[in-house]
Amino acid sequence: MKTQKYIVIGGSAGSFKIIIRIIKFLPANFKKTIFLTLHRLKHVRSGFVEALSLKANIPIVEPKDKEIILTGRIYLAPANYHLYIEPTKTISLSTEELVNHSRPSIDLTFQSAAHSLKDNVAGIILSGANRDGAEGLKQIKLNGGFAIVQNPEECQVLTMPTAALKKSQTKNIYSEKQIIEFILNCK
Amino acid sequence: MIKLDDIINFNNAVKEVSSYNLSDYSKKSLGRRIEKILSDYKMTIDSLIKKIKLDSNFLEKIIKNITVNTTELFRDPKIWQSVKYRVLRKLKNKDTINIWHAGCSTGQEIYSMLIILHELGIANKANILATDINTDVIEIAKKGEYIYKFNIEYIENFKQAIQVNPYNYEDKIDVSFTKYFEIDRVKNLMTAKPFLKNKVVFKKYDLVKQDNIFAEKFDIIFCRNVLIYFNAKLQKRVVNMFADVLSKKGFLILGIHESIFGAEALKYIKHGEFYIRR
Repeated sequence: MKTQKYIVIGGSAGSFKIIIRIIKFLPANFKKTIFLTLHRLKHVRSGFVEALSLKANIPIVEPKDKEIILTGRIYLAPANYHLYIEPTKTISLSTEELVNHSRPSIDLTFQSAAHSLKDNVAGIILSGANRDGAEGLKQIKLNGGFAIVQNPEECQVLTMPTAALKKSQTKNIYSEKQIIEFILNCK
Repeated sequence: MIKLDDIINFNNAVKEVSSYNLSDYSKKSLGRRIEKILSDYKMTIDSLIKKIKLDSNFLEKIIKNITVNTTELFRDPKIWQSVKYRVLRKLKNKDTINIWHAGCSTGQEIYSMLIILHELGIANKANILATDINTDVIEIAKKGEYIYKFNIEYIENFKQAIQVNPYNYEDKIDVSFTKYFEIDRVKNLMTAKPFLKNKVVFKKYDLVKQDNIFAEKFDIIFCRNVLIYFNAKLQKRVVNMFADVLSKKGFLILGIHESIFGAEALKYIKHGEFYIRR
């Protein structure tokens, strides 16, 4: 099986703890690139990167528009911006309308990853309270990428993983432990 | 997904029948806008292109649909704290302060700035120009009327931007939102008070065409979350034009996740969240 160089992760309500755990396990010499698109409270706009960074061995950044994508980094979609991955391996941001009541929208990040990175991306949908990400995960699968959904049984809020499973029809239903192993082994 | 050829055909049609030129808009985001239009209007790309060629009113409508108008009162309150305590501290002793909101959208940014100017007692010195390519949003900006319940965060932003002094947390500024905005809960509206509104000159302006409409240099140019929709070439042109119309040590204020790349950056000194004209 091909191992993917890029991992996109979408999470909403109930995903914060697993994200912290994922981040904690990433070694300083991690050679992949992770994009995190999370639904965040609109008012909690600062301090979030700092909170995540405390646990991390690799840089976590809220990218600027047109920033060049580097390996060994976690890019966090800034609050109130959509984040897209461009075929030129750069990031673009936008303030376009909310999608699935969300900005950033997981669907938009995942769709751009699917089209720009093809089979070189793995998408992971975590716990969450709406259907955002389902269409994006389907696109990742259709474009040859690897689609993973956190096992709804262990999610605090299962709307998002359930919707993603249904829409993408992926068979990769992973526990938290398996997700972390996947990311670490995906070298 | 829309093909690159379709976007180029669309751009050519727009150029052919109007003075707009979208060729240097970022292709990816333009593609998404066109896709959204196709789905909202339930049209194919071919019928869209055909219709804009035949119907100039429809074309105007489509151009308005392409532009993104997201804005808030005091979007990113920290920026506004800096505008108040750092930018205006440097400018407040000037006789006049010339301000340009380039891409003013529905006006929330204009009123945010006006509130700060009033708080500092220097609103009478300000000359304010507000421009946008989209005349519909300019009309909303003139009215200064916004839905109340949907935008409750405006008041939260106001509190953070205006009532808190980040350089001295004990210095709580006691001023109410209703000093500047009328709130009508029945109509579900908040409206900028007349004394805020009479200062601003509104004009339609296309950053692509760059008509020279400026009599004086600006001390502050706001252009927040506009450049992200342009390609590198157009970004460069716009940033250069801003450099031409900014006074020495004038401030360029972009969106918090925007930056200036390349040689143009040399015309500015990056100072925290701002760019200062050399």
